Amino acid sequence: MSKFSNKVKSLDEALSIIPKSGARIMMGGFVGASEPTCCIEWLIKNNIHDITLITNEPGLDGFGRAMLYKNGLVREIISSHVGTTSESTEQYLKDALKVEQYYPMGTLAEKIRAGAMGLGGILVPVGVGILDEPGLFDLPEPKQVIEINGVKCFVEPALTAPFGLVKAWRADESGNLEYRYTGLNCNAAMAMACDYTIAEVEEIVPVGTIQPERVGTPAPIISAVVKGLSLKEHDELYRQHWLKIGKLTPETATA
Amino acid sequence: MDARVLIVKRAAQELKDGQLVNLGFGMPTQASNYLAPGVRVMFHGENGVIGIGPKPTASKAQADVTNAGSEPVTLVPGAAIMDLATSQGIMRKGYLDITILGALEVDQMGNIANWAVKRNGKWWPGIGGAMDLCYGTKIVIACLMHTDKAGNSKVMKKCTLPLTGKGCLKTIITEKAVFDVGNNVLILKEHAPGVTLEEIKACTDADFIVADTFHEMQFEAGQTVGVGK
Repeated sequence: MSKFSNKVKSLDEALSIIPKSGARIMMGGFVGASEPTCCIEWLIKNNIHDITLITNEPGLDGFGRAMLYKNGLVREIISSHVGTTSESTEQYLKDALKVEQYYPMGTLAEKIRAGAMGLGGILVPVGVGILDEPGLFDLPEPKQVIEINGVKCFVEPALTAPFGLVKAWRADESGNLEYRYTGLNCNAAMAMACDYTIAEVEEIVPVGTIQPERVGTPAPIISAVVKGLSLKEHDELYRQHWLKIGKLTPETATA
Repeated sequence: MDARVLIVKRAAQELKDGQLVNLGFGMPTQASNYLAPGVRVMFHGENGVIGIGPKPTASKAQADVTNAGSEPVTLVPGAAIMDLATSQGIMRKGYLDITILGALEVDQMGNIANWAVKRNGKWWPGIGGAMDLCYGTKIVIACLMHTDKAGNSKVMKKCTLPLTGKGCLKTIITEKAVFDVGNNVLILKEHAPGVTLEEIKACTDADFIVADTFHEMQFEAGQTVGVGK
């Protein structure tokens, strides 16, 4: 199949390639915003379990990917945080969710970007003398530190995954993706850091519709495109959640 | 004035016109509500945005226009969207003028601890973007209650919790006092209304000297409600 052929698939067609157990999955989104809603629901419905999840942070309480922890589907999380959802906190504190180490958010983002760019790793000065303190983390091997240009840096290996689940605004049929506002976050880097990336989008348009300079992820990076909620449905899903948790004020209905 | 409101209002005075600002979660976020008259700043969000504006009305909220706490926001004229790696680079490389962060502990060496406590023998909850902010930002301000619930000082000689940043703090603001960080000693600059030097001495573990200009915190009537993170 060409890298430019039609990649539009049903959720079942696109996602059934993921092993039932033990898959390593990278997932885009930022504290629950702009995450692949329908892919997450599919993982839960199909009981895809013992997942190693690479994610910026666990997500948003009571919403979206938090349901993965609630259903006990994630074995290990590789992230910058544990506690952005009570579901992940609960699993972690009862030893049901493995967290070997967390990275500063910028370090995690660059490790993923290094994976995306085909690099072996990166040199990061952030956290040297803090994160390598004895007793802080039970690391399988100590963090390697080298000095370059007079600056002490961690040697941080690149992060990649066999499977990527990302969210974009729209895709053309060949898999060119266009992102919308802060929905970009880590989605584009993660898409490129994985061997088989599924893009969940709100709209699928004919090839040639997306302005070339507006393509955030070029088609050859994407393996499958699935249609998720529409933009309107997504806005409504988040609006209702924000109203529920008091992040939005209900508007008084006008006659 | 409520202790937390006092801290937030005093912290807001550190924001100067034209600055690029990142406000941490909790108390610091509220500082955007008390900008001094004439002060206009641009707010950065870790998730990849410069130019965060006020909360929208419910009907205008969009799933793809959010801040780092995944709250609905608006974008102001001149706003910019960037990918997460660039957003973190903005923090690490020093493009931010100032950040105001909540803290669990601070100490006289300018260290701040704000990302981990021990629960069930495990460090929890996580670093997020705080370490990158402390590493790169020119001015790092810590906001915290002066003591814990048992009355123990959180302004310490040496932090006991895992650090977020080493020697990065410029200023510490509590409900009792404002300190600048000197050379392994704090400099007491201001006291809250009604708080005496003796009281501050009694509840502060850190070594500090008293500035010649030591005075009461000043609050202008015009510290206005501005835009939210």
